[in-house]
Amino acid sequence: MKILEAKGIKKRFGGVVALADGNLSAERGKITGLLGANGSGKSTMSKIIAGVYSADAGEIRYNGKTVRYANPHDAKNDGIAVVYQNLSLVANLAVWQNIVLGQEKTGRLFLDNRQAMARSKEIVEQLLPGLDVDKSVSELSPGELQIVEIAKALSEEPELLILDEPTAALELAQVQSLFTHMRRLAERGIAIVFTSHRLWEVLEICDDTVIFRNGANVANMDLHKDGRDPDRIISYITGETEKTEAARRTRGQGLGEVVFRIDALNHGDRLRDISLELRKGEILGIGGLAGQGQRELMLALAGYYADITGSAELKGKRVRLTNPKTAIRNSIMLVPGDREAEGLFLRHSVFSNIIFPKFGLGRQPLFLPRSRYRRECEQTVDTLSIKTGGLDLPIRTLSGGNQQKVVVGKWLSFDTEILLLSDPAKGVDVGAKRDLYDYIVEQVRTKKMSVILYASDNEELVDYCDRVMIMYEGKIVEILEGDDINADKIIESSMHVVDSTGGQAEHGIDTRQR
Amino acid sequence: MESIPGNGRSKLRLVFARPEYSSLVILIVMVVIAAILQRNFFRPSSLFLTIDAFSPLILLTMGQAVVMISGSFDLSSGTALSLYTCVLTWVMKNGEPVTGLYALLLTLAVAVLVGVINGIGAGYLRISSVVVTFATSFIWLGVGLFIRPTPGGESVNWFNAFYDFGNVKGMPAVLSSIGSVVPPVLILVLVACLIWYIVSRTKTGRYIYAVGGNEESAYRSGISTARIQILAYVVNSLFVFLAALFFVGQNQSGDARFGDPFTLRTIAAAVVGGIALTGGRGSVYAAIVGAIIISLVNKIIFFANISYAYGTFVAGLIVIIAIAGSQVYTVYSRRAVAAKRTPK
Repeated sequence: MKILEAKGIKKRFGGVVALADGNLSAERGKITGLLGANGSGKSTMSKIIAGVYSADAGEIRYNGKTVRYANPHDAKNDGIAVVYQNLSLVANLAVWQNIVLGQEKTGRLFLDNRQAMARSKEIVEQLLPGLDVDKSVSELSPGELQIVEIAKALSEEPELLILDEPTAALELAQVQSLFTHMRRLAERGIAIVFTSHRLWEVLEICDDTVIFRNGANVANMDLHKDGRDPDRIISYITGETEKTEAARRTRGQGLGEVVFRIDALNHGDRLRDISLELRKGEILGIGGLAGQGQRELMLALAGYYADITGSAELKGKRVRLTNPKTAIRNSIMLVPGDREAEGLFLRHSVFSNIIFPKFGLGRQPLFLPRSRYRRECEQTVDTLSIKTGGLDLPIRTLSGGNQQKVVVGKWLSFDTEILLLSDPAKGVDVGAKRDLYDYIVEQVRTKKMSVILYASDNEELVDYCDRVMIMYEGKIVEILEGDDINADKIIESSMHVVDSTGGQAEHGIDTRQR
Repeated sequence: MESIPGNGRSKLRLVFARPEYSSLVILIVMVVIAAILQRNFFRPSSLFLTIDAFSPLILLTMGQAVVMISGSFDLSSGTALSLYTCVLTWVMKNGEPVTGLYALLLTLAVAVLVGVINGIGAGYLRISSVVVTFATSFIWLGVGLFIRPTPGGESVNWFNAFYDFGNVKGMPAVLSSIGSVVPPVLILVLVACLIWYIVSRTKTGRYIYAVGGNEESAYRSGISTARIQILAYVVNSLFVFLAALFFVGQNQSGDARFGDPFTLRTIAAAVVGGIALTGGRGSVYAAIVGAIIISLVNKIIFFANISYAYGTFVAGLIVIIAIAGSQVYTVYSRRAVAAKRTPK
């Protein structure tokens, strides 16, 4: 019996279409897998169902009624519980206090802590036996946090449970115990929507799967009837990549000598034994699933972490990458991923944002040469075709794409030798994305600088990179070159497919599983 | 596999690792220093005076602690204190005992209103609590000056009960003898503790911690965070109100200006008592310890015969050392516990 049916859901964020035509249904007692690449709209879909966003168009029927939730609270009251990727626990409270938060029961006079504790213990015990519910949440490991998050959702006794990448932080044994519990919940008649980047997980646990690409569902499969063929699912996820008109490069041509060398770079357990070489004029891509240490690698190379180990060599000279200033002095520039938080001074003008990096470099005259800066600034705006109402307007009045051009442009007016790009086109519309990459490619060609590009969109890696390194759990697991750089191969490597016996590729089976 | 691992000793260690208890160590050190400098420190008559001198800051700090745990600050508690003394002495007429009761009720209403206004500003209007309460502190001062441009006013005789039972005419002998053993202000502190004991065992108490710890998560869990912020400010106002009762009992007059210097000391005291500046962590009872430590600083300066100019200088240094000490202690003991826990 269908408990949820969402039809023709549309959602735009500013100029970006997140969902063009989203359809999703869930049945009591069944586990539905939601698959898709980054930015395919699957996360937006689950958030619309949970009332976090409201849809621009489309209809959601839940329990036979048409519903339109204004906030997560209303959805929750109707029995829809969501476990989000970014956690929603209060760190200073104990595990049991978090699980019952918002649903406390009062005894005759005071809070009934004994009952709450017993109930929390009962729920946690099923998921992760032995976890002390009296512990403060701040002491838990990421895996334990995720379990508590799930326990909190379960304590509301939902009819529809949406799990948005719940396994990303879990260890294999914890994933298995979560799966056991999910099956038990399904047997009790709860409908579950399960999102994961790991294909094998979906194949193992789900009854149905819905695959999203570019904001629409491209395939609905009944895994019992249609079989569990990973290749077919991968082809649905990637689709046929439409090539853009953007400047295509001939891969691996015109590269110079090695200019930048990293050896055995480590940072806690987020980056493990990273070694790489970068040639003059090369664009080196970093790929993989989201959150495998790519962002951290870019930050580490830009000198954000003081506690890294390993060695770095720039043009044959050793450099210490332990603070951003040294990195910048050595002409290593980072375009950070989160432009609002890390890349821009949102309230300052376009002008100040573009010229700001100049203050930190080299000798400065006592008074800033304003008119010269002004000219340089106009030039940057021109070459990048940044659309702005004026240089003195606050940067936040620009659209996302144009803001991102400023973030990139302000570094390129220097003699940058190594440019680190951390997902530069995230949340940027197609036109601006093309402008951006045209400019970067042009700069690489004329100035012979070298680029390390992390992109969550595999298409960007395929289109612009000479080599692509795939990261998984903080390690580089594969380096793709030449014709191996294509969407299928990148996704396959990202899921950490391991060639098993007889050379037959076993999709997404984690090494730890065997 | 039982709830708290290990034997009794490691349990004790866990208890001492809590930030609240780090201040206890500092307190003991300071009491020893004070007792060395002031020979009769532990004599009952001297302790009596000490308690009278310390208690107002204790009450104000408890209130500040509640607000800080909820993730805000109150920069207006000092002028609110002054305002309450003005309202009390404005309503009361000497020789008409019943006006004391009116004053009590009206001022209580004013206190609740003060808390609600601060809470609405920080909770519903979402203005930074520092800005809101800094602004309201001038409003309370203005209203206080309007009612009482110069210190003074009248009080009913039975208000002495908040300071010294012996001064109250017609007080039963039993009660006066209790009053000669237990300072009345201590009873006010106990009342404050009782109020907090009750609040902390209701949803409101739990939610104050949750909102201060992570407002976003609390909101997502269906908690009305703005309402909780208002309630935290109201509890704070009640504690300030209790302190106002003591001052009017002691001085039999009101003053619109005397309270302001208390404000920042309450924040310092709360921090020394282990209340996190970022909210969500700390114990209101431990804040009492912080208030005693901050009060002892002045006492030590006085009895060490340091001249006034040096005295304030040294007082500043001691406060820094006390705050830094409690933070360092917390970090180290937490590390020690973490190291003990991980290998299992």
